[in-house]
Amino acid sequence: MDIFLQQLANGLTIGSMFALVALGYTMVYGVMKLINFAHGDMVAASAFVGLTIYTQVLGQATSLIAVIAIFLLSAMVMACVGILLERLAYRPLREAPRLSAVVSALGASLVIQNGIMLIWGPQMRIFPELVPQVYWDLGGVVISLIQVLILVFSLVLMIALYLFVEKTRMGAAIRASAIDQDAARLMGINVNSVIALIFIIGSSLGAVGGLFIGLYYRGITFNMGWQYGLYAFIAAILGGIGNIPGAMLGGMLLGLFQAFIAGYISSTWADAFTFILLILILIVRPTGLLGERVAEKV
Amino acid sequence: MKNLARLGFPAFLIIMAVLPNMLNSRWQAVAITFLIFTVVALSQDIILGKAGMFNMGQALFFGMGAYITAILNSQYGWPILVTIPVAIILPALFGVLLSGPIIHLRGDYLLVVTIGFNIVFVQVVQNNLGGITGGPNGIFGLDSISIFGKQLTDQLSVYYFAFVVLLITLGIMRNLEKSKVGRALHYLREDQLAAESIGINTRIYKIFAFALGAGIAGLAGTVFAAQYSAVSPEAFEFIQSVLFFSIVLVGGSSIPGVLLGVFVMFVLPEIFREFATWRFFIFGFAMILAMILRPRGIWPATFGKIPKFLIKESNHGA
Repeated sequence: MDIFLQQLANGLTIGSMFALVALGYTMVYGVMKLINFAHGDMVAASAFVGLTIYTQVLGQATSLIAVIAIFLLSAMVMACVGILLERLAYRPLREAPRLSAVVSALGASLVIQNGIMLIWGPQMRIFPELVPQVYWDLGGVVISLIQVLILVFSLVLMIALYLFVEKTRMGAAIRASAIDQDAARLMGINVNSVIALIFIIGSSLGAVGGLFIGLYYRGITFNMGWQYGLYAFIAAILGGIGNIPGAMLGGMLLGLFQAFIAGYISSTWADAFTFILLILILIVRPTGLLGERVAEKV
Repeated sequence: MKNLARLGFPAFLIIMAVLPNMLNSRWQAVAITFLIFTVVALSQDIILGKAGMFNMGQALFFGMGAYITAILNSQYGWPILVTIPVAIILPALFGVLLSGPIIHLRGDYLLVVTIGFNIVFVQVVQNNLGGITGGPNGIFGLDSISIFGKQLTDQLSVYYFAFVVLLITLGIMRNLEKSKVGRALHYLREDQLAAESIGINTRIYKIFAFALGAGIAGLAGTVFAAQYSAVSPEAFEFIQSVLFFSIVLVGGSSIPGVLLGVFVMFVLPEIFREFATWRFFIFGFAMILAMILRPRGIWPATFGKIPKFLIKESNHGA
C-alpha cells in the first residue's frame, strides 16, 4: 500500500509535467493537423534557457522573485522561439502535402536539439536547486515540496487554459479554427494570429514543463527533448489529440502508468510498456479516450 | 530528364561496380555503408513513398535482420549467407503481424505506433530478453562471409555482397513499378477511397508493402552484421528511422532521389569530418529548406508511362 501511495504521488507529479507539454502538441495539432516534433526540443531548450538566466542574468539568486523571474523570462523567450519556428518552418508549408510539414518539423527538431548542444555543450548540466528541499513524511509516503508545487502550479495553469479556451472570444476563435479554418476565416477570424497565439501558449506551457523537469530531475541534457516530447505526445494521443482536456487527462494517466510500472515492475521496461499501452488503446479506441471520430483529410 | 535517367542509371551501376578498387579501406567502409543504407532507404520507400504509409520504425526491421544473422551465426554456428532466408522471412512476418492490427489507423497515429515498435524493439534487445541479444553491448565476433567453404575476409567481398543486395533491391523496385502490385499501391496512396471502389483490396496491399519493405530491410541487416562482424542496439535506435523517413521524403521517393538523400545524409558527413558536431544542425536546416522549396522532394517520383493522347485531353498529366 505504501508503494501504491508513493507511486501515486510520483505519478501525479510526472503526469502534470507530461500534461503541460502535451497541451502544446495537442493545441498545434488541433488547429494545424501537424505533429510539432520540435516541441519536445523546445521544452529541453527552456530548461537550458532557465539555467542561463539563473547564472548569467540573476547572478544565482534563489529568492522567490528570482524563481518567478526565471519562469516568466524563460516562457517569454520560448514563446518568441515558438513564433519564429512557426513563421520559418511551418507557415511556408501550410498548403503543401502533409508529410512535407512533418519533415520540416523533424528538421526544426534537429536544429533546436543540436543548437542546444552547440551552445551549452553535449555533457549533462545540473539545474540549480531553486526550491528548498522540504519533505513531509505522511505515514511512510514521502512527499516533497517540489512535487506539491509542480502539481498545484500545473493544475492552476491547466484550469486557466481551459477557462480561456472555453469562455473567452479568443478561445472561441481557437476552437473555430480547429474545426474549420476556411469557415473561421469567413467569420472574420484571423487564423494567422490564432496560430501565432497557440504557438505562444503552447511554447510557454512547454517552457514551464521544461523548467519543472529541470527542477525535479536536476540533470538536463541537450537530447532529452525527444524522450519527454515523445511521452507528452503519447499522452496527447491517449487523451485524443486535438482535445485540450484530453491532453490533461492523458498526461496524468501516463504519469501514473509509468510510476506504477517503475514501482511494481522495472523502470528499464517503462518505454516498452508505455508503447504497448498506446498501441492497445489505439487498437481499441483509435481516436483516444476523449477524441471524436475525425475523417482523415487526404 | 528521361535520357539522363536512361544513361545515368547504367553509368551509376558501372561506377559503383569498379569504385571500391580505387578506394582505400576507410572509403571502402563508407561506400559499403552507402550501399546498405541505400537498400534500407529503398525498403522504407516501398512502405512510405509507394504505399503512402507513415512508417517511422524502419530501423526495427533493419535491426531485426542484423540480429537474426548475428544470433544464428554466433549461437548456432550458421554461416552468414545461410542466415539470409531467415533474416528476410522473419522480419517480413513481423511486418505482417505488426502492421495487421494498425493498418487502418490515421496517418499520424500510424507514425507514432511505428515509432513505438522501434523503441520497444531496442528496449527488448537492450534488456537482453531471452539472454540471446547480448544486452547493451550487442553481439560481436561474427564469422566472415564464406562461399563454398572459402573464407572471404577482406572488405572488398563485403562490398560486392552489399552491391549484389542493392542490385536485387533495385530490380524489385523496377518490377514493382511495372506490376499490378505497384499500380495498386500507387492508386491507394493517391486516393484510398477511389482505389477501394475500383476493387483494390487496400488492406492486403498495404500489409504486402509492409512485408516487402520489412524483408528487404532485414536483408540489409544481414549485410550490416557482416560488415562490422557485430551488432549493437544503438545502430537501430529510433533516430535512424527518422533519418530513413527523412531521406525518402527529402529525396522524393524515386531511386535517384533516395540515392541523393543517402549520399547527403551518410557520405557527406564523412567528407566534411571537421563539421561533425554541426552535422545535424545543418541537416535540420537543409530539411526545412528542401521542403519549403520542393515540398514533393528534390527528385519527385513520376509514375508509369501515360500515353500522349491522354495527357493532351486532360490537364492532370503525371
